[in-house]
Amino acid sequence: MTTLWLIIQREFISNVLTSRFMIGFVVCLISTAAAIFVQVADYEKRSAAYHVAVQEHQDETRTWDLYSQINPKAHRKPNPLSIFRVGMEKSGADMVSIDLATPIWEKDAQKQGSDNPFLSIFLSVDVIFVFKIVLSALAILFAYNTISGEREDGTLKLVLSNPVPRDRLVLGKYLGGMLSLFPIVVISFVVGLVIAFASPTTTFNGSDLLRLVMVLIVSLLYVSVCYLLGLLLSVWTKAAATTLILSMFIWGILTIVHSNIATFAVSKFPPHKLQPEKEARQQVEKIWEDFKTERDTYILKKWGYKYPVSAISQEEALSIQITMSSPWELGFKELYNIEPIRNANVSKFQEVLGYQEPLRIDYANKAEELLKRREEISERNAQLARDISRISFADAYRFAVGTITGTDRESYNDFMDQTRRYKRQIVGHLADKNAFSERAWFSSDKEAAELIDLPVFQHRYNSVSESFFRALGDIFILLAWNVILFIGAYLSFLRYDMS
Amino acid sequence: MIWHIAKKEIHHNLMTLRFVLMIILLPVLMVANALIYGFGNTGYTEEIYNYNRKVTQRLAHIERFASEGLGKLAMMGPGEIPKHPSQLKFCADGTDESIPRSITIADRTNYGRGGNEGEAYRWREMWSLEYLPTNHSGDATTLIKIDWVFIGIFMSFFVILFTFDAIAGERVQGTLSLMMSNRVSRGQILLAKYLGAFFTLMVPLTIGILMNLLIIYLSGNIPIDFSDWLRILGMVGLFALHISIFIFLGLFFSSWVSNAITSLVWLLLSWVCLAFIFPSLLGIFVGTLDPIPSIEVISSRRQTQLANIENEFRPLKTSESSKLKQAPSPDNPLATRRWAAYLTSIGETKTQIADRHVDQQFRQVRLARELTQISPTACFQYAMEGFANSGITSYMNFVQQVRRYRQTFKDFIKSEDSGDPDSLHIYFVREGLSQKPVDPDAVPQFEEKPSYQSVLFPTALLILFNVLFFTAAQLSFLKCDLK
Repeated sequence: MTTLWLIIQREFISNVLTSRFMIGFVVCLISTAAAIFVQVADYEKRSAAYHVAVQEHQDETRTWDLYSQINPKAHRKPNPLSIFRVGMEKSGADMVSIDLATPIWEKDAQKQGSDNPFLSIFLSVDVIFVFKIVLSALAILFAYNTISGEREDGTLKLVLSNPVPRDRLVLGKYLGGMLSLFPIVVISFVVGLVIAFASPTTTFNGSDLLRLVMVLIVSLLYVSVCYLLGLLLSVWTKAAATTLILSMFIWGILTIVHSNIATFAVSKFPPHKLQPEKEARQQVEKIWEDFKTERDTYILKKWGYKYPVSAISQEEALSIQITMSSPWELGFKELYNIEPIRNANVSKFQEVLGYQEPLRIDYANKAEELLKRREEISERNAQLARDISRISFADAYRFAVGTITGTDRESYNDFMDQTRRYKRQIVGHLADKNAFSERAWFSSDKEAAELIDLPVFQHRYNSVSESFFRALGDIFILLAWNVILFIGAYLSFLRYDMS
Repeated sequence: MIWHIAKKEIHHNLMTLRFVLMIILLPVLMVANALIYGFGNTGYTEEIYNYNRKVTQRLAHIERFASEGLGKLAMMGPGEIPKHPSQLKFCADGTDESIPRSITIADRTNYGRGGNEGEAYRWREMWSLEYLPTNHSGDATTLIKIDWVFIGIFMSFFVILFTFDAIAGERVQGTLSLMMSNRVSRGQILLAKYLGAFFTLMVPLTIGILMNLLIIYLSGNIPIDFSDWLRILGMVGLFALHISIFIFLGLFFSSWVSNAITSLVWLLLSWVCLAFIFPSLLGIFVGTLDPIPSIEVISSRRQTQLANIENEFRPLKTSESSKLKQAPSPDNPLATRRWAAYLTSIGETKTQIADRHVDQQFRQVRLARELTQISPTACFQYAMEGFANSGITSYMNFVQQVRRYRQTFKDFIKSEDSGDPDSLHIYFVREGLSQKPVDPDAVPQFEEKPSYQSVLFPTALLILFNVLFFTAAQLSFLKCDLK
């Protein structure tokens, strides 16, 4: 045990005293701080925009007095952890405007808070990006000469002439190297955390902190893989210079080239063919045609009216104005304005609406399903790109952190699903109230719609345990790489030729 | 002597592992680029097809409304103006999918009455340009494209691997002092080292580029004409400048620090900062440095201004009488003039707000680009985009040209109108203008002229960086200790 400790100590000291340690430390620290600083400023902006938008929406809600006016908005809550890993946080929709007669489609959802969409041409750098690139390079630079360098210097023979088993030497070198990388990772991380905490806008709750601890652990796992890669190559090659070139080459491919080629190639040669948008829109139009047919047939059969509005104009001397609209050219909305509404008997019309509006929502949901299926196909392509990227541990690391912090693609899709569920919740709420056949659907002359207890959208992030289980796959990939590389280095060193 | 050392250097480099790795990887990347851009989805073929379709639509639009009379054409405008896609996107993609492909024309028909108790009149607001942003969603990594720019950036990484031990390595081996014992100056050695590295690096690059162009040429999907070949040649020049900067940087660190590994650490970290961290952090930082009003603020400002105009011309309160009670007609110049004033002020307000907003956004982007140009890699990227006519600068140019065209179009309407004695010459309302059909061929066409001005500044900077790093390398080598 003492020999192991001795090796670790020696390795640690020899690493820490090198200039690469100092330079690496300073650069890592500065770039982490800069990245956090910029991302905090960005988060503050997003957060302010979110609060304004939510407030404005609340004010708007108070102006509704008809059920048909209900047009709630679901806002995506800015994620404070996006300061560490931006991921999907700045792309995609921030607000979904929910219209009961319109399918929710990701493409139409709106982006808010981005004052200048053209700035998105600049790559978003965050702490995880810095770690992914800088820390991995440092780990490899620490490891590349552990064996081959000592062999060249002749010190390896000297060490092994002592009663030191080879396995203990490898383990000691690994632990010593990791011990010297440990302060760089932890201090950079903590400095980043302090800067993030210093901002008055950012508030991290207990679960956020737990997530950050997990991110730190995953980062250490990643650094360890990189170190082991350097170690393995150091055992395999005879000269330290060769190790260095080879490991830098592999590093470049894995951290920079691999996932970009994978993502880009899949986007240009998608294996799952996506139906053209125009076709999807035509299908939605067809759904609305079907709706009109079904509605008119039923109304004619049940009540004997040719059109829904015939329910009023036939019996009373009322004028009716229909405003038809097609939000985003996907929905089909009809608003009715009846004049003079005072004392008018519109009970028949209410009955018709009680049938017509739920049917309309059903059809909107049908269209939504159709659009969602299309989205799922493009999601499958994206998934394939991610799966290919995952082969590289650098991307497994990126995905694991994304899942833990809740800024990954899936968490974004979750938000879209939540908005769809929220819409159904509102529909359920209205159905419970019988709101579709209320007079307040189209007129507030008798009484205004009762909207005080209308459900409010609450964007909910996955719980820590859920995120953890989702990230398990990627964490497992990192662990597997650790194990494979360590066993590889260990076995190779056992058979290592000293001469 | 210089050539002798350079030759020795090249021979030495050609035998190394790094050269073998590079001569495999670089052509592989170039071939991948050619295959992806030559045969992949949403390639040039599709883009040019969409472009041509939109041009045809535009011509049909002009023809249709020109036949309905000058007044109608003046109100309908020249139709959606598409931007010509770049053939050389495979060289510099310029994240073109986040940049709009065309400038649309806002059109809105209003039905209703001119004033509250006025005559029924259906009118159309005057056309105005709309700069609709594209709403792309996707993970940030999709922003990186495997274009020549990316390959160039990755290549600078190889340059580092080639030069980090150029001086420091020889010093450790002791060959540096041997070399210096000959009749050769330090400057000559540095130059020879530079030339050696430069030529070694240009070999795989040239092979890669030739393979790439061959595949692109054979695919037949991307037409390349003579001027494109010249531009490609210019890009190869940019590659050379970019590579050369990093060779000097490598030589600088290699002679500055005592051992090769420290030099590599310095180089690697500088490379990460220059290639990724500076360009992106500074780019994002501009949003905080020079904030512009948010889209919500602008849209509410716009609504207020438009409401003021409405109030002035068509007050909602019935007590005040509307200025637009009477519909415009060739027999009623007074009403026509009022309508013209109303429509013009609405059109001008919209144009002004939209133009100013997009100008502010451009100003931010320009500032961000200027700041990021402290990185040679960013300069390289911008100059490449300039040659390829892709990216945000080409869109900015396009916007400027479309704005000039807007003026040309309006001037054309006025000059056509002045030739018609029956017209009231009131701008711009349909009834105040000539009603005679116009010859569609006489309507000025929009012609996009690519501007390569944006290449100049970054290229000049690249040259400056070369001089700067050369001097730094020279000084550091002159001062360096041989042992």
